Amino acid sequence: MGQYILRRIIYWIPALLLLAMVVYALAFFGAGDPIKLMFLREEGDVTYDAQRLDAIRREKGLDRPFLMQFGEYVWHLVRGDLGMSVISGRSVNDMIAATAPVSFQIGIATVILVALIGIPLGILAGLHHNQWIDNTILGSALFISGIPSYVVGPMLMVFLVLGLGVMNVPYGWDGLFSRKAILPMFVMVFGSIAIIIRQTRAGVLEVLSEDYVRTARAKGVPEIMVILRHMLRPVLTPVVTVLGQMLIGIVNGAIIVEKVFGIPGLGRLTIDFTYGVDYPVIVAITLIGAFLVMALNLAVDITYPFLDPRAGQAMTGIED
Amino acid sequence: MTTQELSATSGIELAQASRSNLWQDALARLAANRLAVIGIIPIVLLFFVALFGPTLTPYDFLAQDFTARLDSPSREHWLGTDELGRDVFSRILYGARTAVSVGLVSTAISLVVGLIMGSLAGYLGGRVDILVVWLTDVTRSMPALLLAIVINLTLKVPLEAWMEQLYLETKNTFFRQTMWVDLVLVFGALALIQWPGYARLIRGQILSIRSRNYVLAARALGMPTSRILTRYVIPNAMGPLIVAVSAGLGGAMVLESAFSFLGVGVQLPIPSWGKMISDGLRMWQTHPHLLAGPAVMMAVITVSFAWLGDGLNDALNPRQWK
Repeated sequence: MGQYILRRIIYWIPALLLLAMVVYALAFFGAGDPIKLMFLREEGDVTYDAQRLDAIRREKGLDRPFLMQFGEYVWHLVRGDLGMSVISGRSVNDMIAATAPVSFQIGIATVILVALIGIPLGILAGLHHNQWIDNTILGSALFISGIPSYVVGPMLMVFLVLGLGVMNVPYGWDGLFSRKAILPMFVMVFGSIAIIIRQTRAGVLEVLSEDYVRTARAKGVPEIMVILRHMLRPVLTPVVTVLGQMLIGIVNGAIIVEKVFGIPGLGRLTIDFTYGVDYPVIVAITLIGAFLVMALNLAVDITYPFLDPRAGQAMTGIED
Repeated sequence: MTTQELSATSGIELAQASRSNLWQDALARLAANRLAVIGIIPIVLLFFVALFGPTLTPYDFLAQDFTARLDSPSREHWLGTDELGRDVFSRILYGARTAVSVGLVSTAISLVVGLIMGSLAGYLGGRVDILVVWLTDVTRSMPALLLAIVINLTLKVPLEAWMEQLYLETKNTFFRQTMWVDLVLVFGALALIQWPGYARLIRGQILSIRSRNYVLAARALGMPTSRILTRYVIPNAMGPLIVAVSAGLGGAMVLESAFSFLGVGVQLPIPSWGKMISDGLRMWQTHPHLLAGPAVMMAVITVSFAWLGDGLNDALNPRQWK
């Protein structure tokens, strides 16, 4: 097991390096001159003397060749330093530390809520296969899964604030347990719940015809115990693998939701700071996004054998 | 099978007979799925509008009427007008054109790239396979919207500078239209996001189909590879591929709008639903009709794609549990 985790982590390193290099190169060669942009922003025009620009560039080490700058960046990265924002002059670590907790709260709360609501609904649908409960749940899940969050969020705002008048304008962030968090959280959960419902339902349908479920029922085990003791584990195993897929959706959703509701998280930071072509910030956020997805996929793969011991034996490499 | 003599020809005939039945069965199953049939209607309408949009719209999408700015829906302007007095309904119809063309082109690009990479990985195996799988893993670990933002912000300036230079050299006004730069960036970002899915699907299909007994039997009987491909591998891989393409097409349209919503998509003056939604969001409290029109349209189309995709999946992959 330990060896497996180690191998997976080694497998990431070239991936992260490649990503870092591609994004850094894109920003380095394509993004335009950050110094010029900084001047444009602060002084309104670019009628500066070139010498002053060169001096600043030299001072920040931006005149050196690409590989040197990239090498230095990676060296700092290894030691946990994400560099300095060229435009604001602040440390990227600080900027991320200030915004990441909000995004993580939203992400984790979304996963918990989706699991708490989605799994019971999926089980309910599966147990009433092809009855009206099943059709209603599956139909709504299919309906929900189609609508993108940049449509749901604004439409709900119009409906709740202007139509029903039950809400003030939800803009900004007062913490996860405040009223302002209700609508953003709803949109986040709305965006990812369908996949869990459908996966759980499919799992239940598969397990229903298993001999051990029939035996348990024949022995007179109460239905609730049949569900909890005999069905939940085999049903949850594939559901856990879907979590990895869900995370990408959650990151994408968070970028949109943070923009719609003005929440100061990583998504907002991405949108706000990338317009300044501040490449340390762009590269850092990109790497964090990719790292999160990889780490969560690994976590999913590690928990898998606990849910399904058969998978532990088969776990020899990285497969489809 | 019991009474049949096992010869190569009867095997082929059998395959042909079952193949035509497969498609008929799939069509029948699709027609029986009520949601899928309902979903087809808006999608057909969308393609129709995208094709004939300019002749259908009551106004030009750029025509400004300063006497009717920010009007609520009325008889002259069915869905109202925006801050420049442009007809929202006409702009939505033109937006269909953006969505469909971006969806089709980017799906075609990523499908071709995915087909090539996936077949290379599936057929050559070994190091090529490992490399392709690794590349797809790396690409897929990037959240799509972040990727699009990075691409747009870094490549837009140099591409525009390059176009400007081409214009100065050739004096061809074609190079003056920055619209093409936006479109190229959006196509590129979408293709980059979507090719790994197709590549992995095709690789998986090739690996699984070529080890099936009927392919092994055909090979044992001496059937040439090209015929094995056209008779067995391609028809059997078709079902999942059609499902994936239909989902990918809808997904590309959603992403295109998401890019525009975040400001990294196709820029004005070409209308895009995502851009219209994000513009509407600025004035949603006073003029909600600017937001409602494109948002409802987007919702109808995406739900239709979800329903059709689900129906196609059930119809073409009958072995899968529903």
